[in-house]
Amino acid sequence: MTLLRSIGRKIKADLQAIPEGIRGWMRNSRYKIDLYRRGKVGLLQLLAPVGASIGALFLVSALLFPVYWIALAALSGEGASLYSADGFNLIPPGFDPTLLITEGDWWMGMDLTAFVWVIGDIVIPSVRISIPLTGMSIVTGEIVLFEAANYGVENPSDFTLYAWNSLTVAIPTVIIAMSVIVPASYALSRREFLMRKKVLYGYILFTQVGGGLGLAMLIALYAIFVGIGVTNNKLALAVYYAAMAVPFNTWLLKTFMDSIPASYEEAAVIDGASPWQVVREIIIPLSKPGLAAVLIFVFLAGWMEFIVAQTLLRPENYTLPVGLFALIQEYTVPWARFSAFALMFAAPVMIVYLFAQRYIEQGLSFGGMEG
Amino acid sequence: MATADVVQQARDYELPRWAEENLALALVLPGLFFFSAFVAIPLLYLIGLSMTNAALENMFRDAPGLWGTVFGEAEFIGFENYANLLTDGQFYRSFGITWLFVATSVVLKVLLGVGIALVLTHHWVRGKRLMRAIVILPLGLPAIFTITVWRGVFSSAEFGLANQILIGLGFEPVAWFSRRWMTFLSYNIAEMWLAYPFMVIITVSALQSVPEELHEAARVDGAGFLSRFRHVTMPAIKRPVLFASILTAAASFQQFLIPFVFNRGGPARSNELILLYGYREAFEFRAFGEGAAIMLTAVAVIGIFMIIAATKGKLAEGAHG
Repeated sequence: MTLLRSIGRKIKADLQAIPEGIRGWMRNSRYKIDLYRRGKVGLLQLLAPVGASIGALFLVSALLFPVYWIALAALSGEGASLYSADGFNLIPPGFDPTLLITEGDWWMGMDLTAFVWVIGDIVIPSVRISIPLTGMSIVTGEIVLFEAANYGVENPSDFTLYAWNSLTVAIPTVIIAMSVIVPASYALSRREFLMRKKVLYGYILFTQVGGGLGLAMLIALYAIFVGIGVTNNKLALAVYYAAMAVPFNTWLLKTFMDSIPASYEEAAVIDGASPWQVVREIIIPLSKPGLAAVLIFVFLAGWMEFIVAQTLLRPENYTLPVGLFALIQEYTVPWARFSAFALMFAAPVMIVYLFAQRYIEQGLSFGGMEG
Repeated sequence: MATADVVQQARDYELPRWAEENLALALVLPGLFFFSAFVAIPLLYLIGLSMTNAALENMFRDAPGLWGTVFGEAEFIGFENYANLLTDGQFYRSFGITWLFVATSVVLKVLLGVGIALVLTHHWVRGKRLMRAIVILPLGLPAIFTITVWRGVFSSAEFGLANQILIGLGFEPVAWFSRRWMTFLSYNIAEMWLAYPFMVIITVSALQSVPEELHEAARVDGAGFLSRFRHVTMPAIKRPVLFASILTAAASFQQFLIPFVFNRGGPARSNELILLYGYREAFEFRAFGEGAAIMLTAVAVIGIFMIIAATKGKLAEGAHG
């Protein structure tokens, strides 16, 4: 919880920095214009920053345009199918900000049916709770929170099923991986032992060739999984993901632990703390941000992996990435629905990932992005 | 002997010196074994498989003996699969297109990444930090999302973004995935977009290590933009960019998802990058033995490439070299 609070504090600080920045920029511009009026700088020097900034803004927008385009397509309602022509506008069809005031429409006239199709019905299923010793049981009723049919959408997507599958793959992945990563990274960061350098070097090397090697081993993995009869098994997939997550994340957590000053530990040892106490009361609390980052990366690895899942799983166990790919293979799926599905899959991942980068990942090369 | 003595003795007992010194190894070994098992066993199996004629009809049948349990009815054929590759036209085509893809995509990635980094660190540009934070957003997107979206961009229908832009500029729409070099171009563009945030991050942090005074001194000495770039900027970013290029070249060589999602290496197998070639041989044509041989060859090549790069480019020293 302290972690969440510190993230909150940082967001607040970031937001407070925005008006500050604008004020500073305005002060600076006034000063520049003043200099120009007094003939101290030429017109070129006055206008170059404006032109350069506009150019840079244009470059950034052009680079990110595909993402905007997908958002646009998702808001085009039923829209055209993936392979048929339709008009193309820079703003979503039906978008009208005045509707916010006149009709209190938060979505300002944008068509959200594609998103309704993705989410489908949200139902809390009925549960039978038996009361021990009395032989009685209570059956709770089905609670329908959201029904797609009310919004004119029939046959909603399997998004919730796929999300559930992804979750049941990712959670065991995290549990298994963390239980081997944490002790190993502590040892690699704080202790000297045989082969320490070699293990680290091997881990780093694997993170670079891992993609190709993993793909090459897919054939063998598939044959072995068929042989022991665990294809289409989510737990087996999770065990595999956990194993593959070990090298990078051990290295990452080790780098993070390296940044904890050794003097803290020395002080604790002088005060008579046992090695276990040092770990429990110094290393673990101080590496919480690193632990959170590694936890997120391992979770996302299980959540996002596509190739192995696509090879091993059958439709009832599809995870979200496989479901997304299955969708684009279907030529009749409307483009709006595909886009909405893709965004619902990617947006949470991106937000979580960026938080991991911006607010948690200290001590990595991203420090270079400051300033 | 009294109980107290035993306790005392147990306290005094010391582990052998080597065990004492390497006790921490016990914390590393579970992870190492766990990870190695999932690499070593499939790898050994893959090597075995590449020396058999394993295919769908013989591999998953039960046969007696140890060999039968492991490889089914597949037969040992030695290095025949590898020998066949030497005369396989598709293998050479795949390798050729893969190296071409590495060359073109690395050049494009470096140019784009360094270009963006130069613009977004220039002293004329306002709001640099915010723009830098925004421009690396694609880093957080799942690869499968990015690639399926780019497949939509290059959709042959007029609805595809690429064709919309072409029509807007007054050109004819292009059937991207049914023309060989158009497909290749689309792979390059998608790869460029996937990798530029990484290049930008590396280059920006290198550029920031160049003191502003150096630029000013050069300007005072009358150096123009180009000569300042050559003599001040270039030396500072050369090593980090080289380091990033090596890593990104390895990523290009191992690119699988883009051709797989776009059009499975088509048209007519002309753009099958090497890993996709192995994958298709195994999973679509069910020639597991041959697929294994292709994959192992590709892995060997990338391994040799990385080792050479690591020793020549002093990769281990990283971006700080």
